[in-house]
Amino acid sequence: MAKKIFLDYNRCIGCKACEVACEMTHGEARIKVFEFPDLFTVPFNCRHCEKAPCLNVCPSGALFRDEDGAVAFDPLKCIGCLMCAVACPFGIPKLDEENKIMDKCDLCADRRADGLLPACVSACPTEALKYGDINEVLWNREGKIVANLKSSAERGEGEEAYLIL
Amino acid sequence: MTSQSVKLEVMNVAEKLVPVVCPWCSVGCRFYAVSVNGYIRRVEFDYDHPKIPNMGKLCPKGVASYQFINSPDRLKRPLKRVGDRGEGKFEEISWEEAYRIIAKKIEEIKETYGPEALAFLGSEKITFEENYLVHKFSKAVGTNNLDFPGRYCQYSNSPARTKVFGSGAATNPFEDIAKAELVLIWGHNPAETAPVMFGQYIEKAVIDNGVEMVVIDPRSTRGHKYASLHLKPYPGTDLAVALAMLNVIIGEDLYDKEFVQERTVGFEELKEAVKDYSPEWAEKVSGVPAEDIRKVARLIAGKKTAFLVNEGMNQHVNGFNLALAIADIIAITGNIGKEGVWSGVFPGAQCGFCAAMTGIAPNKLPTGKLVTDEAARAEVERLWGFPIPDWLGLDLTSMIREMGNKIRMMYIIGGNITKSAPNSAWVREQLKKLDFLVVQDIFLTETAKYADIVLPAAAWFEKTGTAISAERRVQRTYKAAEAPGEAKPDWLILVELAKELGLGEYFKYEHPDEVLREINNVIPLFKGATPEYLAEHPEGCFFPCTEPGEGTKILFKNGFKTSDGRAHLTAVEWMEPPETPDGEYPLWLTNFRLVGHWHTVTMTEESPSLQKRWPEEYVMINPADARRFNVRDGDLVKIETRRGEVITRAAVTDHIREGVIAMPWHWNVNFLTLEETHPVTKMAELKAVAARISRVEE
Repeated sequence: MAKKIFLDYNRCIGCKACEVACEMTHGEARIKVFEFPDLFTVPFNCRHCEKAPCLNVCPSGALFRDEDGAVAFDPLKCIGCLMCAVACPFGIPKLDEENKIMDKCDLCADRRADGLLPACVSACPTEALKYGDINEVLWNREGKIVANLKSSAERGEGEEAYLIL
Repeated sequence: MTSQSVKLEVMNVAEKLVPVVCPWCSVGCRFYAVSVNGYIRRVEFDYDHPKIPNMGKLCPKGVASYQFINSPDRLKRPLKRVGDRGEGKFEEISWEEAYRIIAKKIEEIKETYGPEALAFLGSEKITFEENYLVHKFSKAVGTNNLDFPGRYCQYSNSPARTKVFGSGAATNPFEDIAKAELVLIWGHNPAETAPVMFGQYIEKAVIDNGVEMVVIDPRSTRGHKYASLHLKPYPGTDLAVALAMLNVIIGEDLYDKEFVQERTVGFEELKEAVKDYSPEWAEKVSGVPAEDIRKVARLIAGKKTAFLVNEGMNQHVNGFNLALAIADIIAITGNIGKEGVWSGVFPGAQCGFCAAMTGIAPNKLPTGKLVTDEAARAEVERLWGFPIPDWLGLDLTSMIREMGNKIRMMYIIGGNITKSAPNSAWVREQLKKLDFLVVQDIFLTETAKYADIVLPAAAWFEKTGTAISAERRVQRTYKAAEAPGEAKPDWLILVELAKELGLGEYFKYEHPDEVLREINNVIPLFKGATPEYLAEHPEGCFFPCTEPGEGTKILFKNGFKTSDGRAHLTAVEWMEPPETPDGEYPLWLTNFRLVGHWHTVTMTEESPSLQKRWPEEYVMINPADARRFNVRDGDLVKIETRRGEVITRAAVTDHIREGVIAMPWHWNVNFLTLEETHPVTKMAELKAVAARISRVEE
């Protein structure tokens, strides 16, 4: 059961509560809200890929998969070689110049150990960020979308409803 | 393990989770301040209490709200001015000396000019208990010159709704927004000013329930992407749109006849008053297509509507008329006194209601009754034990106008009027004319720089007290940190100063709980909001809460708070804004708020996580206007009005309609606004003035 943060970007209003919550927890924000001129906003963080390229190329064993499925990180083993950044298709791992190691999202390992949600998810006022067993999150989403389709069909707006999905 | 964490472990320091109410907007979010040895290290989300309005969630200001209280720039000792007014040169003095100087000045001015030369400001940023004490203190020294910066906030909608419904407060809890059939956002930007309310209630309606949303605003706001219709009136012309909606709803026979018949008076006069305000007329005045006005009017008439209306309506000289027209629309469509609707004032601050409900106004008693009402005065005199002046005091703008004339001394608590009041240059010149100014605040604000004595106050998390949210929720917040240096909570400063003035017998309080118990006794609406009840119920109670455990979630289910229990429909006429664009100043200038800043940035600019994300002001200009005035995106530009000028960067964007420019209000925009006020409400023109823009060579 892989636990992930799912991005329901349609709910995002670009308030950056996630960035500030992440910064409060880790010193630097590891999630960023990207804004586009049409008011479209997307919060984006590490995808914790199932076949994580960063994990495969890390020469020092600093990156590892933890029990919740997060691609986590041991700062004591990192040598700051940037291989993970090279391999990552999203540009997620960043260099922490002060400590000369890499820095990336670990889904708030310390908070999870205390039974808390990742900080960004805890904060997100619109529930654009959801945390949990990813297939459960997706089944819920699918259920909602199907329910919307049904009610749109009942109102005779099927085609329109399909377009806004 | 770092040396810091080793040290903490050796000392065996425990983190303490102190339940608090958020210090910014009026949604009333709760969380825990994580306190270590009287110092807040971070916030923790409250997912323990499902009945709280935020269900654990916070916006960026909420998450960062522990930062400003740890700022090295906090005021730590009382200060006495040694430089010129406004220069910011002070020397530190002791509390004893500060109290002695202030008490002596109060006595001197009372003797020379009479108590009517003294003026006090309460604050939307201090607690309910503290506002109550500011009120009591001002009356004890003998003046009714009492107001608060909320004069520039809800003082269009609040008096208008009081006239029509008998009370300005929100009719329903936020959960009813999620049950509405139409969400109307008019001159309001809740996605930025109240993100938790937007996410937890508006999005539930719009995204999950598929409810339609309509936005009326000259700008495209953050939540605008969910709207099916966007009406863009010129600033200050929304009144024309509202009058035309009344015209359509009545003219097309769409109003709720049963409701109008049974629960309102004045319908015929209203019908007569709006019969000529056609949508075509409104289109000429406001620039909103007549057909769009018709569409929205028909939607409102046919659906249970949540009316989310705020400063875009309030902060105009004609805002009172607009608020009356909207109240009329709400009444004749029956969108009040039931589930699934929402309307009411939406204070900008966590404690706007704390000032309003303790009667912080030049004409009120703490009970909400008028100072000119002899019986009501006698009742409070009996409870307080000293005589209360019977004359009408001055509102905030009139106080500023009379500085150095009728007003000789002012005592400002937690207010930054050099930036929040209209026409900042004028305000600063007026402040110099005072004989004596006391400012009590947590930072040396621009306004404090004009003070003779500055008193260092404890910040929100450094004291226990009560807050009241926009949905009328009364909640307790607790002390989580020690104030820096010698700073003291506002309530304690007033208690000690009263003692110095020989008024100690009326201010015998050793804890805010004692003040709240007195409020329970003096203000009947809050009888049940006792310290004990609120301690056991973190989610608080909805006022009127007349007994512990009893609150009122929905107002006006059976009758209105008016003399006859009916809604008093009020005939409204078109009123020109005091200033409109002309050849010399061809553009409308308005302003808006950013999610990462709050009011005049005194606290948010001391919050590094916010300041770095929202670093500075700018001006929005439509591409067509940008071409017309030869301005490119990112250019340094000068914005001028007849009051002053501000230099800033241009943001060329479609998110503002042609003919209008807009700036965030947090920084300098009030150098450009107008101090003219409405004859009844005294609301100034803070949102629609004539301006021009020009490029500045770099």
